[in-house]
Formats: sequence, C-alpha cells, structure tokens
Amino acid sequence: MNPVILGIESSCDDTSAAIIKGDTILSNVVAGQKVHEEYGGVVPELASRAHQQNIIPVVHKALKDAGVTVSDISAIAFTRGPGLLGSLMVGTSFAKGFALARNIPLIEVNHLQAHVLAHFIQEPGQQHKVPEFPFLCLLVSGGNSQIVLVRDYLDMEIIGQTIDDAAGEAFDKCAKVMGLPYPGGPLIDKLAKEGNPNAFEFAKPRIPDFDYSFSGLKTSFLYFLRDHIKEDPGFIDNHRADLCASLQKTIVDILMEKLVAAARKTGIKEIALAGGVSANSGLRQAFLDGQKNYGWNIYIPKFAYTTDNAAMIAITGYFKYLRKQFVGQDVAPFARMIL
Amino acid sequence: MEKTLIIHSEGDIDAIAREFLPVVKEKRIIAFHGNMGVGKTTFIKGLCRALGVVDPVTSPSFAIVNKYVTSDNQTVYHFDFYRLKNVSEVFDIGYEDYFFGDDICLIEWPEKIAEVLPDDRLDVWMTENADGSRSIKFSV
Repeated sequence: MNPVILGIESSCDDTSAAIIKGDTILSNVVAGQKVHEEYGGVVPELASRAHQQNIIPVVHKALKDAGVTVSDISAIAFTRGPGLLGSLMVGTSFAKGFALARNIPLIEVNHLQAHVLAHFIQEPGQQHKVPEFPFLCLLVSGGNSQIVLVRDYLDMEIIGQTIDDAAGEAFDKCAKVMGLPYPGGPLIDKLAKEGNPNAFEFAKPRIPDFDYSFSGLKTSFLYFLRDHIKEDPGFIDNHRADLCASLQKTIVDILMEKLVAAARKTGIKEIALAGGVSANSGLRQAFLDGQKNYGWNIYIPKFAYTTDNAAMIAITGYFKYLRKQFVGQDVAPFARMIL
Repeated sequence: MEKTLIIHSEGDIDAIAREFLPVVKEKRIIAFHGNMGVGKTTFIKGLCRALGVVDPVTSPSFAIVNKYVTSDNQTVYHFDFYRLKNVSEVFDIGYEDYFFGDDICLIEWPEKIAEVLPDDRLDVWMTENADGSRSIKFSV
C-alpha cells in the first residue's frame, strides 16, 4: 500500500501544499493562484504573515483536489530550509501540529534536495522516464546556480555553485538595467527570440573548477550600456532584441561550459535541469544540443515542479518515508544554504 | 568625522575590509548605499572573509537574507532589500528579530526600508570614481 504524503513548502514567497501517493502526484496547490479567488482577500507576495493566512486554505484545497481526507495522510513533509526563517517557521509549525494531532511521522526536507528530486514526480496514469543514478543536475533559479552530483535519492553533493549572483538574478538585474520590469528573465527570453545572439560579446568569468560567477557579467553589461548610451542615447531601444539575445547566450554559455566540463570529468551522461530558470528557451535548446553533441540523456521537469512548490517536498518526503527518516517535535528550521 | 577608503582594484578588497572591520564590530548594523554594479556584494564578501565566515557568501537578492556563521561561531546576516516593493514586507519578514538582536547585519539596498532602519546604524556610501576605483565613505 503506497503511503499518502502531505508536502508543505513555505521557504520564500509562495505557500504551497501537495498530496502524493507513492511517487504519483494527486494535487499541487500554490497560494496566489486559485486559493486567492476562492477565499478572497489580498495575498501579499512576500510574508510570513501571508504564509500564516494561506497555509490552512492551501492544505484544504490540496486535500480536496486530491480527493483524500485528513485521515488518509500517512506522513507530513515540510521544508526545513534554507529560506526565510519567519516563513519557514510557519510551515514547520503547521507540520509539527499536524503530525502531533494525527499521530503520524514528521519528515523534514531540504529545499535544494527537493528541487533535484522533482524529477521523480509521476503524473497519474502516465509514467515518464526518470534519471538514472548517478546523474548531474543543473539547478538554476532566482536564488540558486549549482551543479549537483546525485548518487542516490538522498545522497547528493554540490560540486559547483555560484560564488556571487545566481543565474536568475543575472537575468533579472540586467533586465532592470535595460528598463524592463522585474522579474525580467522571462521577458529577456521573449525578446531574445527576435535578436541576434552574436551581435554583442560580453566577458565571461574565469573562475576555477565547476563554480559560477555572474556578478562580473552584470557589471560589464552595465558599463557596456553606459558607454554606448553616451554615443547614442537611443542605444537600448535600437538594439533591445540583440542585447537580450546576446546576454541570454552569454548566461547560457557560462552555465553550459561548467556543466559540460563536469559531465566530462565525471563521465556522467545522465544530465538533468531543475529550478525556475529551466523555463528559459535558450537553456532548453542548449540541453537539446548537449543531447545531440555529447550523447546525453537529458531530463527537464514540468514547469510547475521547477519553481517553489510542495510537490517536490512531497516526493522527497516519500523517499524519506521509505527509509523511515523521520524527525521529532524538537526540529527547528534552518536558514543556511547547505545540502 | 567623515572617512573615505579607496579600493583601487579587487586585490585591495581584503586589506580595506580588515581596516573597516573594527567599525563593523562596533556599529553591528551597516547600511551599504550605492548603485547597482558598484561592488556592494563584492565588498561584503571581503568583510565576511575578514570576519572569518565559513559559508559561501552569495547575493541575497532572491532570498532577501542570507545567514552565515564564522569560524568562532558568530552569526552574520547579509540582507538585500532590492526586490521589496513596500516597506510593509519587511515587517512580515520579522526584521526586528535580526536588527534588534546581537548579530552583525550587513544591508544592501537599505533605501527600500529607510523608515525602519535602526538609528544607531552606520551608513556607508560606495561610489565609482572616474578611474574605475571605488570610494567607501562613512562617518565615525
């Protein structure tokens, strides 16, 4: 009999709850979407107070969508960290209370590990192919840029990571410099489709091993625009698509160079992508190129499981449930970035 | 008295950070003002090295706050309020717990939360000079 696990995510902006049965997802609800309409009121974007307002309605909706009741839940999994302490506290406290009231196991989940394990979420009635161990996972989001070596479900190691800004942040901040609204990543992607990726060249960082750096790119992009605007005040307007395309190419190239090097060094050809930046079409194309050029087997999860969501918390909870990795009521959230 | 420290190149950062360190320890809450790309995060990385931080120091633009610990088990909070839209959001984060504790708080984009910055903070202004060097100005 497959366990039914309730997953809770509240590490940053979004409150989310999900129900998983075995590895098959039954529901995945993120506040700010339908909960907002059904329960009314304003959902602030960033707030532990908002998490407090959202968590009960979100769990109710997750149960309803999944067609299960509270008594069907075998265990509850929650994001313990990293994230904003106040926000994490809401999910942690809810999970503890729920576990205590229902007398079911409590499972703590590392948010970063969950991003990687999102690849193993199955949809009802259809099985998709999942990565084989060991695999490499490029985790890229607004707050993360990491290459993770995954030996087993719960055995993973960060072999490369950003030493300053995240890749998503590079997109967003360069967008801001061009006068695009925040978050500008998706907009750059859209504009890039009409531009020439080789129109401009931006300096790439030279840092050792598999680590990343995007702070220098942001600064050089800023100076590049400043110098050109001196000569042509309409420079950004006249070259917007080319700027976006060239910038996107540079960021994707930086990400892929280290990933290719890591794949070569480890001899691993199972290559996975995770995190919200996986929606970027340039990065997706680069993965397809990797498949063609290096014989990789590539894996890109459904977009709903790449941004912050509870489905990935629930699947991680499932793997921990199988290994009976439970925690007691004395568990506290953590804010630090560790895997 | 106003003081100015000049960083001529990235190689200067560690020495300047060490020079600045006593002020950090005394004032505890440091607000870094300056435009995007001036080097706020880079200088804070240098300060964290000088403080003996053992965690990777990265931009908290997305996370809003990063927590680091030092080799002698001190906690350092690194804030970036860049993406806050409204000062009310800082109440929701529970900023009082950070600012009115005992730990060092290094703050980027403090302008976003000007109304709630503690009065006993140190304001630091970072600017880029014509030759590409950076000035760090503060009053002691």
